[in-house]
Amino acid sequence: MKMKKLLAIGLSMAMTLSMLAGCGGNTPATSAPAEPAAEDTAEAPAADTAEEPAAEDTAEAPAADGEVQEITFMVWDDLEASEDLITKGYKQSVDRFNKDFEGKYHCTPITTNLEEYYDKLNALVTAGETPDVFIASPGANLNDYATTGVAAKMDDYLNADGWKQTFTSDAVFAGGTYGDDGGDGPGIYAIPLNIAAACVFYNTEMFEDAGAEVPKTFSELLDACQKLQDKGYTPITISAGTAWCLSMVAGYLCDRNGLNLQDIKDHKTDWKDEKVIKAGKQIQELSKYFQKTAAGDDNDIATAAFYNGEAAILIQGSWAIGQINGSCAEGFADKVGVFAFPAVDGSSADPNRVIAKSDSLCMSASTQYPDAAVQLIKYFVDDTASKYTAEVGGKIPVTSVQYDEKVAPPELKYVMDVFKNASSTFGFYNESLYDTEAGSTFDNCFVDIFTGTDPEKALDPIQEYYEMNVW
Amino acid sequence: MDKLLRNKKAIIMFIAPAFILFTLVLLIPICKAVYYSFCNYKTLHPIKFTGVDNYVKLFTKDRAMRAALKNSIFFMVFSIITQFIMGLFLAALLTNIRAGRNLFKNIYYLPCVLSSAALGLLWMFIFTPKLGINQMMASFGWIADCTEGPQWLFNTEGFIILPIIVISFVALWQYVGQSMMLYMAQISGISSDIYEAAAIDGCTKSQAFFKITLPLIRPMIATAMSLNAIGSLKFFDLVYNMIPEGFLGDKAHVLATHMYTQAFKFNKLGYGCAIGVVLLVMCLVVTLLINKFVKVESYT
Amino acid sequence: MSAKTETISVANHRTKVIHGFIYAFLILLAIIYLLPLAWVVITSLKDDAVLMISPWELPARPMFENYSFAWTMGHLGTATLNSFIVCSITLLFSMIFGAMAAFAIARMRWKLSKLVLTYFMIGMMIPVHCVLIPLFVQFSSLKLSNTLIGIIIPYITFSLPITIYIMAGFFEGIPDELFESACIDGCSVYRMFTTVGIPLAKTGFMVTGLMSFVGNWNELLLAMVFISKEAKKTLPVSLTKFVGPYHTNYCQMFAAIVIAVIPTIIVYCVFANQIVEGLTAGAVKG
Repeated sequence: MKMKKLLAIGLSMAMTLSMLAGCGGNTPATSAPAEPAAEDTAEAPAADTAEEPAAEDTAEAPAADGEVQEITFMVWDDLEASEDLITKGYKQSVDRFNKDFEGKYHCTPITTNLEEYYDKLNALVTAGETPDVFIASPGANLNDYATTGVAAKMDDYLNADGWKQTFTSDAVFAGGTYGDDGGDGPGIYAIPLNIAAACVFYNTEMFEDAGAEVPKTFSELLDACQKLQDKGYTPITISAGTAWCLSMVAGYLCDRNGLNLQDIKDHKTDWKDEKVIKAGKQIQELSKYFQKTAAGDDNDIATAAFYNGEAAILIQGSWAIGQINGSCAEGFADKVGVFAFPAVDGSSADPNRVIAKSDSLCMSASTQYPDAAVQLIKYFVDDTASKYTAEVGGKIPVTSVQYDEKVAPPELKYVMDVFKNASSTFGFYNESLYDTEAGSTFDNCFVDIFTGTDPEKALDPIQEYYEMNVW
Repeated sequence: MDKLLRNKKAIIMFIAPAFILFTLVLLIPICKAVYYSFCNYKTLHPIKFTGVDNYVKLFTKDRAMRAALKNSIFFMVFSIITQFIMGLFLAALLTNIRAGRNLFKNIYYLPCVLSSAALGLLWMFIFTPKLGINQMMASFGWIADCTEGPQWLFNTEGFIILPIIVISFVALWQYVGQSMMLYMAQISGISSDIYEAAAIDGCTKSQAFFKITLPLIRPMIATAMSLNAIGSLKFFDLVYNMIPEGFLGDKAHVLATHMYTQAFKFNKLGYGCAIGVVLLVMCLVVTLLINKFVKVESYT
Repeated sequence: MSAKTETISVANHRTKVIHGFIYAFLILLAIIYLLPLAWVVITSLKDDAVLMISPWELPARPMFENYSFAWTMGHLGTATLNSFIVCSITLLFSMIFGAMAAFAIARMRWKLSKLVLTYFMIGMMIPVHCVLIPLFVQFSSLKLSNTLIGIIIPYITFSLPITIYIMAGFFEGIPDELFESACIDGCSVYRMFTTVGIPLAKTGFMVTGLMSFVGNWNELLLAMVFISKEAKKTLPVSLTKFVGPYHTNYCQMFAAIVIAVIPTIIVYCVFANQIVEGLTAGAVKG
């Protein structure tokens, strides 16, 4: 009897143990890279002040032992499956890196999709498993990482071997530069990879057929749309479902009406400013020319309508070029023209400002292998990558690389023209506001306006949000 | 025997694994959730105790919460009523037929065991403007063009918006089998003698249903209703998968999606916990109410 | 006499008509249930262009590429494996722990048994949502997020209440004499559990096993929060996140849905009666 009791005790002990062992068995695998990393944070900044050769030494040391420095890179698209040409370029950079440093460094991408990207990144950060290198958009999202010590300060690496001089200008770092609020003091916390400018793409054939002119002002835009509609075309294809698409137009309209976001932040004006209201009314005027299913179409469907020749105008970031050349029918690219977002009639605001966005890379402040991480980032902005960015991806490169304008998609030249004429740039509104939730609230307000709610009333949520959290 | 069964050590051994797990994974986290709900707790930032701030915000300032509460309560009421009627109706029909009873029963129950994530996506495509229902209506000539049809999942007019109504019908489609099965099990447990006796007294079938079946399955009605109520308050998969994030803004939130967005999209963990606590309280209250009003009466 | 036969035949006729209506209604409803599933299977074999133009035609050449794409590119293969591992381990442990606790509650004699049962039963009313955040924070700091064990532990816990409740019912239903004779044979209480309790509560295991397996196989929210790495995602999560940010391909999406649903449908078709009865038995007791 006693034996059996013992046996039973043993059994259930074994069961509990096996469960614990189950936990234990998995733990080292995930924690191994993270724990030493925590120790390294203290050393890393000290080490990186050293000159390049020293850095290389530390990099080579483990390699001599035959140990590969394994780093992770998190990005918002599936590197394997994506048909987006910029994403394909990222994959090439990672592949080149892995090939060139075989046996020394290795990078494993963590892929996810755009909608859940920041949720998942935050989850990893919370878990102490921040990816060694991760992509982020300047603005509210980057703020979260740069000001809380998640992202590392990059100045020392940039200055180390003239890396910084390969970039076109210091201005490209503006979005990643922080003052005293930076987690590790003032400096640059993100390396830009490319610039996309939001422009208006149009189908030249349809414009010709309808006798529409390239509009310079908002009323001319409405005219052109009317002509297109009379000819039986869908004038504009846009997604109100993927909220940033509509909010990009809203951002342009607010800016063209002369709204200054800093004034709102400082509470010199508020969201019920007549400029915002006017932008809302203009969205409603413009929405007459949207495709009928705009409310339910996501960005993919909406852009596809333009690429398939179903709609005449697409207001989109210049990453659209990558898609036009990646997945559209032969010859379609030649039919596409580009113009800058038109001015608003009677507004004194500068009509040459352009919404620009740069994908940027951050390095984890707790990375165990800063040299491998920096090396990986360099592969994203080296000449090969930058050439690809321009010639294939159709985004504006951030480094002073010579690319072949003849090989590059024709639209890139148009976009470059728009970009060169730009007096200054500003960010996507939903990424430039107080925080991500404010951005999302802004998006929602304009979706509401689009569905016909009076702007005065539809702007309540963002107004309340600022009253509660900002002012 | 009695001594054996009073063996304290054995009892502890038997209970311990489940008890420990339960305490660690359920009880302690609940206490923590309640604590967090009184804090300003964001990822990457230290916890700050702020008292009832979150709840004040939740009930006075949060528009999305208002929509979420409205939608969740609508889901709950809708599913309690429709599942009760449809479930009981189907159960009554199926107990009255012989041929194919099992076949029909199995067909209606099928969606209950399928992944609601997958079914949510499936129905999303069925209600997409360019596919499914609208395409069908167009091919029958009811509407001129796919895009002319109703925007099933994207119409934001009305007090209860169309997408929410659509989703509640999908939920009815998916889960009515569950209620039907519960009622059938209970009905088949009623002795046929009672019905025979009633028939001799000249009782018609419908009378028998209302006078005999209904009172006898009352406890089961309470159980089924509480299951429905909790299930529909917890509602997440269908809503999350049928309405892509960001579409419709805040209007199509339910409690669970609102919590998910606040906690994991905007990093407001404390605020998310407050929503979780509200959800918990609602579940407990509703279960208590149903059991009080539906179950107790059956004993009188 | 003749009047009576007439009423009977009228009554018969009426029942027949009523039955006709009932069957018509039931068949119509069955179509509503099966049509969407049939549609998704057919569509999954087409390509997008054909789908838009002629939605109702059967595909001329079935596009099995859609499936291989979803399986490999959508990581559904890995996800199916993960789901299987998670659900099996959960099933095993929730049944062992649940049966042990249920046995102690139902058969052993101690003062607190009612109270402990109530403690477990409260778990049934608690939605996973309200422990999600603290659990996520806790598990993250324990490095349990992004591991399968990190979702297995909560899954076991959430399967326990219903398992305990149903199993307790089954243990209670076992006649006392069986335990008494085992006692006379000199069995310890542990032997009683393994040789008398477990074999006689087989149906209970079947029921609870099915319920926990089905429930966990379909669970989305917790898995979505806890798992961010592609290699560890379970089926519902992979499926939900199958839509890429820049590219939507309906037919591949449909193939993915079919992949996610087919295993359950096959199992259901094979065991339909047992599952339905088992789940009902369980639910009735619950």
